[in-house]
Amino acid sequence: MELTINGVQHQLEVEPDTPLLWVLRDDLGMTGTKYGCGLAQCGACTVLVDGQAVRSCVTPVENLSGASVTTIEAIEQDDLGKRVVAAWVKYQVPQCGYCQSGQVMAATSLLRQHPHPTDQEIDAVMVNLCRCGTYNAIRAAIHDVCSDPTHGST
Amino acid sequence: MNDRLKIIFAIIMPISAVLAVGTTWFVNRIPASRFEMAGSAADEPSELVARGGYVARLSDCVACHSVPGGAAYAGGLKMATPMGAVYTTNITPDRNTGIGSYTLADFDRALRSGVAKDGHRLYPAMPYPSYAKLSDDDVKALYAYFMRGIPAVHQQNRQSTIPWPLNMRWPLAFWNVVFAPSGVYHPDATKDTQWNRGAYIVEGAGHCGACHTPRGLAFNEKGTDSHSAAFVSGALIDGWYAPSLRNTPNTGLGRWSEDDLFRFLKTGRNEHAVVFGSMAEAFNNSTQFFSDDDLRAVAHYLKSLPGDGTREGASWHYEPTQAAAREPAKRQELPGAQTYMAKCSFCHGADGRGQGQWVPPLAGAASSMMQDSSSSINITLNGSGRVVAAGVPDAYRMPSYREQLSDTDIADVLTFIRLSWGNRQSVVFADDVKKLRDQTTPANSSPVILKTH
Amino acid sequence: MEAAPVNLSRRFFILSSTGAAAGAFVLGIGLPTRQARAQSAQAPTFRGTQVPAFLEIRPDNSIRLQSPFIEGGQGTFTAMAQIVGEELDADPATFIVENAPAGEEYVVMDNGRRVTGGSGSVRRGYLVMRRLGALGREMLLQAGAQHLGVPVSELTTQPGQVIHAASGRAVPYGALAHAAMDLPVPDPANVKLRDPSQFRWIGKPVKRLDIYEKSTGKVEYTVDVRVEGMLHAAVQHAPRLGMTVGPIQNEDQVRQMRGVHSIHRLPGAVAVVAERWWHAKRAVEALLVDWEEAKPGSADAIRIMPAEFSSEEFRQHLARATGQEDDAETKGDVNRALKNAHTVIDATYFSQYVNHAQLEPPSALARYNPDGTLEVWLPTQAPDMFRADMAKRTGLDEAKITIHSPLLGGFFGRHFLYNHATAYPQAILLAKATGRPVKLIWTREEEFLRDVLRPMAVVRFRAGLDAQGRPVALEVVSATEGPTEGGGTKRGKSLDPSALEGLTNKSYDIPDRRIAQLFVRSPVALGYWRSVGNSMNDFLYESFLDELADKGGQDPYELRLHLLRHNKRLTTLLKAVEELSGGWKRGPFTAPDGSRRARGVAMASPFGSEAAAIAEVSVENGRVRVHDIWEAIDPGSIVNPAIVEAQVNGAVALGLSQILLEETVYENGMPRARNYDGYPILTLDRMARVHVKIVESGEKMGGIGEPPLPAIPPAVANAVSTLTGRRIRSMPLSRHEFAR
Ligand code: FES
Ligand code: FES
Repeated sequence: MELTINGVQHQLEVEPDTPLLWVLRDDLGMTGTKYGCGLAQCGACTVLVDGQAVRSCVTPVENLSGASVTTIEAIEQDDLGKRVVAAWVKYQVPQCGYCQSGQVMAATSLLRQHPHPTDQEIDAVMVNLCRCGTYNAIRAAIHDVCSDPTHGST
Repeated sequence: MNDRLKIIFAIIMPISAVLAVGTTWFVNRIPASRFEMAGSAADEPSELVARGGYVARLSDCVACHSVPGGAAYAGGLKMATPMGAVYTTNITPDRNTGIGSYTLADFDRALRSGVAKDGHRLYPAMPYPSYAKLSDDDVKALYAYFMRGIPAVHQQNRQSTIPWPLNMRWPLAFWNVVFAPSGVYHPDATKDTQWNRGAYIVEGAGHCGACHTPRGLAFNEKGTDSHSAAFVSGALIDGWYAPSLRNTPNTGLGRWSEDDLFRFLKTGRNEHAVVFGSMAEAFNNSTQFFSDDDLRAVAHYLKSLPGDGTREGASWHYEPTQAAAREPAKRQELPGAQTYMAKCSFCHGADGRGQGQWVPPLAGAASSMMQDSSSSINITLNGSGRVVAAGVPDAYRMPSYREQLSDTDIADVLTFIRLSWGNRQSVVFADDVKKLRDQTTPANSSPVILKTH
Repeated sequence: MEAAPVNLSRRFFILSSTGAAAGAFVLGIGLPTRQARAQSAQAPTFRGTQVPAFLEIRPDNSIRLQSPFIEGGQGTFTAMAQIVGEELDADPATFIVENAPAGEEYVVMDNGRRVTGGSGSVRRGYLVMRRLGALGREMLLQAGAQHLGVPVSELTTQPGQVIHAASGRAVPYGALAHAAMDLPVPDPANVKLRDPSQFRWIGKPVKRLDIYEKSTGKVEYTVDVRVEGMLHAAVQHAPRLGMTVGPIQNEDQVRQMRGVHSIHRLPGAVAVVAERWWHAKRAVEALLVDWEEAKPGSADAIRIMPAEFSSEEFRQHLARATGQEDDAETKGDVNRALKNAHTVIDATYFSQYVNHAQLEPPSALARYNPDGTLEVWLPTQAPDMFRADMAKRTGLDEAKITIHSPLLGGFFGRHFLYNHATAYPQAILLAKATGRPVKLIWTREEEFLRDVLRPMAVVRFRAGLDAQGRPVALEVVSATEGPTEGGGTKRGKSLDPSALEGLTNKSYDIPDRRIAQLFVRSPVALGYWRSVGNSMNDFLYESFLDELADKGGQDPYELRLHLLRHNKRLTTLLKAVEELSGGWKRGPFTAPDGSRRARGVAMASPFGSEAAAIAEVSVENGRVRVHDIWEAIDPGSIVNPAIVEAQVNGAVALGLSQILLEETVYENGMPRARNYDGYPILTLDRMARVHVKIVESGEKMGGIGEPPLPAIPPAVANAVSTLTGRRIRSMPLSRHEFAR
């Protein structure tokens, strides 16, 4: 089948029910997207499909033909994503870092749809697990991105 | 089944008490078998044994007569009842603990009349009212299989823990007179052979009615064949609601094609649904092993059963309702919306449409459209057991949410689902969730496959 | 060995005190006696002085530092760059830090071991690494002298370069490194260290070095490593530890599955090797194995998990347990004191089993090279011990084994050497069997099945109050097994300090006391969990202390102040957190938003540091909500306040997670939860605001990764007890029903 990832088209020889996560990690060697649970519980595998945060471990590739997938590897090619990463660095968010690819993707999709999320909206959308407990830093970084004046531009 | 058993006894005991004295001869009489002269297991030809193995798959004997990790057909499955536990029996050819000493006639009496070799009546948990429809040839084949097709296992049967007098089984003789249909399946000359083959499997060997047909006061299936509108019209059993298999558009198979049905029974999934609950077990151990011809016959027959539109309102069509749930700010105002988006949407989709045949839709799903919410509550609390198709466990499974969501959370999210995307159903109450929470346990995350050899 | 505070070295005290035999059970491996002695013999000599082994200064002036301590999110690599950079006179930002390979030259801890844990990295590496930096600087200066042809005395340094003020010449380190690293290392005995008042980086909120890579998915964890010709593997473990592989019903059928390379029988597990992990995972799940019950005696190195084991029944078993009580701490005469007490109070508390649940599942990549050497990539907190174990398992000489340890995707104590709870022995066997490099990743389900657990304890408290209602006598008997003695099958000769830490070593002035352990073997294999014994024992002790305060009509904050009246350091700390929280107000009170709230206070002395916390809680639809945590922490002195604050946040999150949600339940010998669905951990919406106050008392430097945790659960529990009027004697709170 054909799959568009980070703007590049790939021809793949995989069973239709293969999760996007393992196509990314094993077939395409893009290991920035992490496996944490394989059961839609942790969010470590979050990628963007047409701008929406999606958990790639429970996304059969079959349903992705025609869709455009964005992974952490390309996050900085996107202006908003770039600013999310900058805020992550400014607030020194990651600890072990394992959950952070997913956190950054989730935050980017939240900010794309809601440039100025309230705490309540952040609570509602940022449901990825972080065992290191970087939650307060994540919240602060997200607020920082919205306070960024250039923010309206996307 | 629990409550029903209690009811049988409640009703039958008094009646029987009166009649008891005069009728001892009756309740002790051994019904005739059409094989009285046949004697016992001679050297059955191996193709007969093989066919018997197939009939055993059609009849899903293993489901009740084996336990996970146990020897094939050695019995021991516990069926809890309010009066105590009943254990299924060893049906391997072991002479002392199994049915090795059964003649074909003994076997036939147990299978089609519900009377064991020693004359005691079987509880109708054994679907002999359905098996009564089995053809003589299939009974012979089954007998051959159980005598020569499987190893004898020496495993004592466990005594039921039901106390006297409730443990007296002779009153069931009356029950049999009233309810058990007698006689093998008679083809309906007005229907084609495929239809008749389907009817034979659904009404007989497959005993689909045992779960899908509502029961009467005395635990009797309200309908036993295509002539009854109650037949496989949906029923609650062991914490799951077995949906209608009739052509009812919303809560039945109305929107399914024969091919949809065929794929469902062969692969465990299609775009409408994925097997779960007790049906996952029936699929893992039985339906996927049916021949394609038999599966198509089953589909053909079921699609011929008229639906009952009066049971439900307008037939379902997708409505993009409650898109509001996508707005994080609005989720708090809409009960269940936040839980849906945080826990369910990643697999079933923010639009409730699922992911092709891999993750079932909740929009328009029978479980979200039917009055009874047991199945939805049960699977949300406990998740689904693994669906194993052609020996391969499923790629995606339903997690268990009993540890993450309160009774109210679950009631709210299910209510949200039942009011979204064109689904129109009554709300779910926290008490319903609590009841099932206490009665059920989480599904096993590892595949459970019962041995058949 | 120094009388260490409660820290990791104490976990190993048993090891060094009972020798190699103990080594065999302490961490599931046999440490050759000779090596153990050799190391302790070297302890007094200067460690970590082989500068070239640690430092590579590149022509572009970037500095590659081999860190003896592994980075798992706690900021160690950055701290090491700060410490070395401070003395080397190089900006930490120019450092590239890696986890050093196994090897004696990198064993910098005085106890002769190399372990990242017990919050020991900075405090145990501090002096050594400063000295290392200073030695490096001297070598650069000498090289500079030769290069410029001037006496060393005329040279100084500025960050990254050697300066000759007289001639105004400057040579970048990068240009001198080659020559410098060939020079003999100066005598560490009289190397001069920088005066702390002159520090530019130590003590400053220097930015972490790994943040950008971790924010863009560029960091490679073990699960991500790939090598030429590598195969992928997945395993299915026996349902219960000790069971062995029996017949496989469908082996041929599974071998036909797409992508399957081969099927393997391993000790207590079956594995499938495939070209892709997804194929290996699906195939190994498909294997129908007839597992055979453990044959008693056959598995002496293993704890055999009984088929009927239930954690709830085990808890009741602990509560009923009687037998020999081993005193861990005694003072005065507790029996007399209890007899003379005005009131005697008894209560039983318990703590639950918990999982590590680090986000990165266990994995390992093993490769046998043509020259017979073995390379293993894996997450480890103790490379040398792992290598010794590999040598033992493979019969290879240690010199033939190379360990690569990528960054850890969280550890919290998960990556010590736990028998049967690590992936690398399986990966090594599979690499050998297939003749190809094999990367094995455990599914989350297999991780929950084999993870070692934080011990369960049932603690019987008995206290005597005087006429004023103040505690004067305390007897504590904990029915439990410690994580160190819980690794293997035999118990050590001496008490396991990590079993009772947090019940022992409390600073409250209670004249007569006895703290004892009633040893009960746990069928579950045990391990270290962030802040180890303190993570549960401080909850038990500090909650009971509040119960005493209530029974004695005392305010819990005032009572603590009174019991610490002779302890200046802790009095200061307790007052600091009180001030941070805007003054002690216990409640219940009504918050501006109309909710009823209360506050609780608790203290802990873990891993050489001191901590005091106050929590503010309310109950929202029957669920406890923690609004704020104020925590004051005194690690003596610190290296990076920003990292300290991050660590406090992380420890608070884990503390909240275990008091609010976490509990590992076993039924029929198996964990009920096999993934996060059945084992919820803290989520963002339940995280509290965290306010941190760092107090630098100047006392001996303590740890920072674990110490902020233990005071959190009791602070929350005490607040909830005040709010609801119900004394909380067990975790997690999700076990308790609260009115909606
Ligand atoms: S790995 Fe996909 S949600 Fe955890
Ligand atoms: S940073 Fe370690 S899990 Fe989130």
